[in-house]
Amino acid sequence: MNVNKMLDAKGLSCPMPIVKTKKEMTALEPGQVMEVQATDKGSTADIKAWAKSTGNHYLGTVEDGDTLKHYLRKATAEEEKAETKHPHVTNLGDLQERMEGNENITILDVREPAEFAFGHIPGAVNIPLGELEDRFEELDKNEEVHIICRTGNRSDLAAQKLTEKGYANVKNVVPGMKEWKGKLNQNH
Amino acid sequence: MKVAIIAANGSMFDAYKVFNIATAAAATDAEVGIFFTFEGLNLIHKEGHKNLPLPPGGEHYQEGFKKANVPPVDELVNMASEMGVKMIACQMTMDVMSLEKEQFVEGIDVGGAVTFLTFAKDADVTLTF
Repeated sequence: MNVNKMLDAKGLSCPMPIVKTKKEMTALEPGQVMEVQATDKGSTADIKAWAKSTGNHYLGTVEDGDTLKHYLRKATAEEEKAETKHPHVTNLGDLQERMEGNENITILDVREPAEFAFGHIPGAVNIPLGELEDRFEELDKNEEVHIICRTGNRSDLAAQKLTEKGYANVKNVVPGMKEWKGKLNQNH
Repeated sequence: MKVAIIAANGSMFDAYKVFNIATAAAATDAEVGIFFTFEGLNLIHKEGHKNLPLPPGGEHYQEGFKKANVPPVDELVNMASEMGVKMIACQMTMDVMSLEKEQFVEGIDVGGAVTFLTFAKDADVTLTF
């Protein structure tokens, strides 16, 4: 999985995986994703609790043999609130209704690949906000694009960017995946 | 979160109980203070903390510590210090045992009961080991 930092904490016992996670997390930029590899069986519960206490974002854990791969994202205070600088906004209920109506709509998820992997709307396309500048042409200009992230903040920036690039039918979905109650797909 | 710990015992087990909780708390952005009193002073004594006794009958655990790749006590003490854990050595115990500040690891403070109590009075977690 594509991450900004990989921390090898294999073979270390409590509290070392947490101590090292803390140290490396401090060096990350807000919004970046880290993979922590550990063999300490208690680390799943500990990493989850640590993220909760420190306000960081625990994405999930993948078991790979004896290795536990934990995914964390460094939280940013600003993004907790949905942003609506882009004027065309839709909510999760409307999005779900339109999906159930079998309308052909494009859902663009602009979160990081690891966030996407642990749960996304079936059929959604993943282009992280940071890659949108280089990859926006993968999207059809004639289609209606619904953009989603975790909270409605990154998706607002993405909506502004696509509008700038000449996409006329772009909607920011608020509040975002953290409130999504519909179907989820995983790929990890 | 604020965590106040009293370390009053001096075996190797006690060292891990104290410093595992202290470093984990510090890594979770807690403000941590430890008051070392009586045998607890062993845990920060320059030479003593590198060679702490296992409890009687527990000598065979030496192997287990190695197998679990548990860091040595002096490494944990350094780590705690680097992460800003406040360590207070008990003045009264030092007087009783004729110990000087220089005999302890770098970066500790020396204080009395009220120094610790003042730190602990608004702590969210208070522990005694």
